[in-house]
Amino acid sequence: MALEFNKLTKEVEALGQNVAERLAELAEQLPVAQAALDSIGVADEVLLRKVEAARQHRWAGGIPTSEAVNAAFPLPAAPVRYTVIAADGSQVYPDRHGVALYYLINIGSIVFRCGLAQAPDTSSRPEVYYQDDDLYEDEGGQKPKVKIDAERDRAELAELARLSAAEAAQAPTVAMLDNGLLLYISLLTENKALLQELWAGYIDQLDALRASGAAVAGVVDRPRAAGVVRLLHLNSLPLEQITDQALRELGRWERLTDGALFEFLRPGERSALFVHGSPDNEIRYAPRGHNLYFFYVNAGRTGKDALLRVEVPEWVARDPDRLNLVHLALVEQSRVSDGFPYVLMRAHELAVVTLPERRSFDEMVMGSLIRQKLRPGISQKAQGKAWTGAARRRYP
Amino acid sequence: MLTNVESVVTIGRLLRSSTTGYVFGCAVPEPDVPRFGDFVKAPAQRGRTNVIGLIYDIVIEDDPFVRQMVATRDLEEAYILDQRENRQVPIEVSVLAIGYYAGADRIQCGLPPQPPVTLDSIRPCTAAEVLDCTSSFDYLRLIVNSPEAPADELIAVSLRNAAAGRPPEDRAAFLRLAGRELAKMLNRDLPRLENLLRRIRPS
Repeated sequence: MALEFNKLTKEVEALGQNVAERLAELAEQLPVAQAALDSIGVADEVLLRKVEAARQHRWAGGIPTSEAVNAAFPLPAAPVRYTVIAADGSQVYPDRHGVALYYLINIGSIVFRCGLAQAPDTSSRPEVYYQDDDLYEDEGGQKPKVKIDAERDRAELAELARLSAAEAAQAPTVAMLDNGLLLYISLLTENKALLQELWAGYIDQLDALRASGAAVAGVVDRPRAAGVVRLLHLNSLPLEQITDQALRELGRWERLTDGALFEFLRPGERSALFVHGSPDNEIRYAPRGHNLYFFYVNAGRTGKDALLRVEVPEWVARDPDRLNLVHLALVEQSRVSDGFPYVLMRAHELAVVTLPERRSFDEMVMGSLIRQKLRPGISQKAQGKAWTGAARRRYP
Repeated sequence: MLTNVESVVTIGRLLRSSTTGYVFGCAVPEPDVPRFGDFVKAPAQRGRTNVIGLIYDIVIEDDPFVRQMVATRDLEEAYILDQRENRQVPIEVSVLAIGYYAGADRIQCGLPPQPPVTLDSIRPCTAAEVLDCTSSFDYLRLIVNSPEAPADELIAVSLRNAAAGRPPEDRAAFLRLAGRELAKMLNRDLPRLENLLRRIRPS
């Protein structure tokens, strides 16, 4: 046993106390924050000027729309027939200690036709990459993980676009992704050309989704974002005090999240829409007609709230039918799985590559190498991990 | 219903086995197969023989995902179909080995020389095979001595199934013979014997 639990008991006790203190602090902050949200209502000219000023400082808060920021919208009525599609992806990174150098991306998807008593269509599409062009960059060096992650993200969206093209003609369709739609890659690499390539590949798929006629939504469970809290902080600043430094902090709302702020949403209700203030949204998405909006929805039930953050492009946000469909589908799908959309759980299940599957795939690769009269093996370091990572016993 | 037509449909594939029995996995059960007390067979010894067995347990495992859904009111049919048809919900069927083919067309009662191998396909026995297998009652002792199978229930159901596969005029005589055999085996446990005889009494 490497982890000696007896040495951690005090820290674990302190951790619990710390969480309790934070929650108590939050409970004190929350009514004040919600009152501040109520005081904004529909954003006035003064606040919009502050937002404009803040955006000059790469402020990434939530930008109010014509909806009152404290509004709560009830669950829309369900159409007789609609389709919900979800896709999720998982990856196996290249392992230089493994039997061969490759990486694998597996995309799971589900097409759920609500209102039809038929089993949904499910699929799992694995692809393995092993050629030099796949594994190495033109300028040398192994392909970075950020690029593999972005390829997986693009493949998820491409799968949604492919399926939506077939489904949206049959019934109103919403495509869901278990992640936000904004790629957070700009902090992961400084390679501008690479970033441009990754964004372009991703946004091309948003173009395809828009063309399909379906709606698309990126869903984040237990959101930690504070875009609307940033807006509260911005609102509290006089116009002339909007500086990089002032915007970097959250003032009295430090540690508060949007999730806490929108606790007032009752099961089934959604919050107002906000424009995603991220500079990447403004620079990459908006010029292509995919300006990203977000809202919060309580996808839980009485006695068990479940707040989700939902990102949608402007062509969904500004189309009441598509927006209502996203809202409805999220809540209805979450009813079955108690707070998170069923289709996203299933897409994950179809995508995930488990450790035993990974081992079996490595055995397949090893068999292929042996048939080529090669003598494959893992590195001694990996072998050591396999030996020592197995179930261990220690006697005192 | 027993038929003499050889089934081409596999009702499941073998998960694990021993000479005393085997366990196979299958998709959502059809209304008629597999059922408790059915006679089934699995190939063994590279297809040289088939191991005949009796289904004595069908287990449908749950998982946390399904458990969560059980509590949902007004569950749409599509969710149920997704769970039943698309997800790999493990349904395990346990079989007690009672005989095997010794030669091309002779069924030997008793434990087979080798068990079937993983992923072998399981098929229902034909009426002729059931007739052959139950032409003597030696297999009843394997059931009585089985530590796992619910012996009395399995004996009663398998005998009724075997009787149903015979011509109507032979059924009562078959069950009376079976009763006599059971009386020999269980003469020191009269309450149990009485219960079993009541279960197989010809109607």
